[in-house]
Amino acid sequence: MIVARKRFRLEPYVEFAKRAIAREATYRFDVFTGLGSFVVRIYLLRMVWFALYAHNAAPAGLPLHTIITYSAVALLMGLVLDIDQTRALHDRLHDGSIATDFMKPISVPLYFFADGTGEVLFHAALVIPGLILALLFVHIDVPSFPVFAAFALSFVLGYFVGFFLNFMLNCTAFWTLEISAVQLIVTWLTDLLGGQIVPLILFPAFLGKVVYALPFAAMFSTPLLIYIGTIPPSRYLEVMTLQLFWIVVLGAISTVMWRAGARRVVVQGG
Amino acid sequence: MAIIETVDLCKTFRSIKREPGIRGAFAALFSRDYEEKAAVHHVSFSLEPGEVVGYIGPNGAGKSTTIKMLTGILVPTSGQIRVAGLVPHEQRQANAENIGVVFGQRSQLYWDLPLRDSFELLRSIYDVPRNRYAENLAEFSELLDLERFMGTPVRQLSLGERMRGDFAAAMIHDPKIVFLDEPTIGLDVLAKEAIRSFVARVTAERGTTVVLTTHDLADVERLARRIILIDEGTVVYDGALERLREEYGTHRTLVVTLAEDYPEISIEGATLESREGTIARLRFDRRIISAEAVVRRVMAQYAISDIAIVEPDIESIVRRLYVEGYAVPAQAMRP
Repeated sequence: MIVARKRFRLEPYVEFAKRAIAREATYRFDVFTGLGSFVVRIYLLRMVWFALYAHNAAPAGLPLHTIITYSAVALLMGLVLDIDQTRALHDRLHDGSIATDFMKPISVPLYFFADGTGEVLFHAALVIPGLILALLFVHIDVPSFPVFAAFALSFVLGYFVGFFLNFMLNCTAFWTLEISAVQLIVTWLTDLLGGQIVPLILFPAFLGKVVYALPFAAMFSTPLLIYIGTIPPSRYLEVMTLQLFWIVVLGAISTVMWRAGARRVVVQGG
Repeated sequence: MAIIETVDLCKTFRSIKREPGIRGAFAALFSRDYEEKAAVHHVSFSLEPGEVVGYIGPNGAGKSTTIKMLTGILVPTSGQIRVAGLVPHEQRQANAENIGVVFGQRSQLYWDLPLRDSFELLRSIYDVPRNRYAENLAEFSELLDLERFMGTPVRQLSLGERMRGDFAAAMIHDPKIVFLDEPTIGLDVLAKEAIRSFVARVTAERGTTVVLTTHDLADVERLARRIILIDEGTVVYDGALERLREEYGTHRTLVVTLAEDYPEISIEGATLESREGTIARLRFDRRIISAEAVVRRVMAQYAISDIAIVEPDIESIVRRLYVEGYAVPAQAMRP
């Protein structure tokens, strides 16, 4: 029997994203604490760098104001990148409500993608007040427009690397149901090895080589080093190709994990 | 043509064999021994469009497993399955367009959003035409009295309100088939009745096929005329509810209030089921002895102040079936 494949409709996924924005907006307290914690963290980091620079000459040739710019932009990026936008996958596997998702005429992974994107877009709106606060509290450098455009593009690529990392992580719940321990480790790894806290160029030689080869660097470090100018325009193509490489690899692993997980649900009944 | 058809449908689950105790738990981490359990075993039935069937059985009988296969979220081990012409697990999304689902234990509404937003979202998921959506919502809202809490986030609704929302959600896209899994569990009498009359009315109007699994046989009596009884993965009865009552409901109970205190009650042809003070319950098989004969014997032997005959309800028939088995009812149930 031949069944005509129904035309793909984008509308439900746009609606999922909109509802996710509406949902996030109901947690108003989160918004203010998020901004509050941003101010506290940027202030503390500024103090730490000031103290370190008082005793040392600029390490790796990074002047104080550059490293403070780096830290502030890294924290701003964190407002978006630190969100586990596919947490809903874990939650719905954990309480079994994923079954009702599979009973709807939708692509379930696309549903999680749309929902996560909505959540991220809401939090991305916080970057603007965050940026104003950053400009008020600490002095940060603003690059030329072409450099900023490259940074923005690289940031988007970094977002997709992060998305697939989170998706893979939440997919493990198909087998384990519980992911908080693994998640904690991955969060530390992304923060530290991704260069959010300390620029990777300050890492010792051997470790420095290793961390650049990991996908975490593609999330934070690459766009940040573009922003502060350590990565010159001549290397843009190279570093963004590497980011794209990670998106393809992690996307492929995510697909395999999703299929195996979904298969497990439909064969074993979850 | 049948709208739902299963032929020799089987589902076997495989799980790692586990020895008891901590040692067993560790051994199971590395074990390669599997245990197989047939949850659904050669189940065949077919439903016509518009039929309302009660799919019932004790816990673990295979009801939910069957429903999961019909909704396409579980792949059968063997056998054939067709729902509105589609093979559900191969055409999950297309099948999902045709069905509506209500789980009493699990909501399909979106937890953080107002009820109205969940309906809006479902409208776009199922691509319901706007005027049809408005008509359905108006009708359901009136029948289920939803207006009061349309703007309330689902997580703040009471169970009764949430279930009413879930029923409206399951019907908003005019599905050809609805699966109701324990739909009235935990609800009070009024809420149960509101939901039953909603289902009866809306499905009759639209000619919806209904598969109802429940432990509350009052749901079945109110809504279904046919029942499929399943136990240990096998269909043990498939037919009219009335016939089940005729064939298996052969026993009546005579409730007698005695005018005096007798130390012992004994009636030929009936068995004493229970006795509390002056109230005695006598059970008899209507094919062996008539009610009239039992009453006459009671009145001849004892002084009584009141008497009543209790017909078996479907609940007690099914309970006895679970306990006493299904084979050759006339013999098995003879006292």
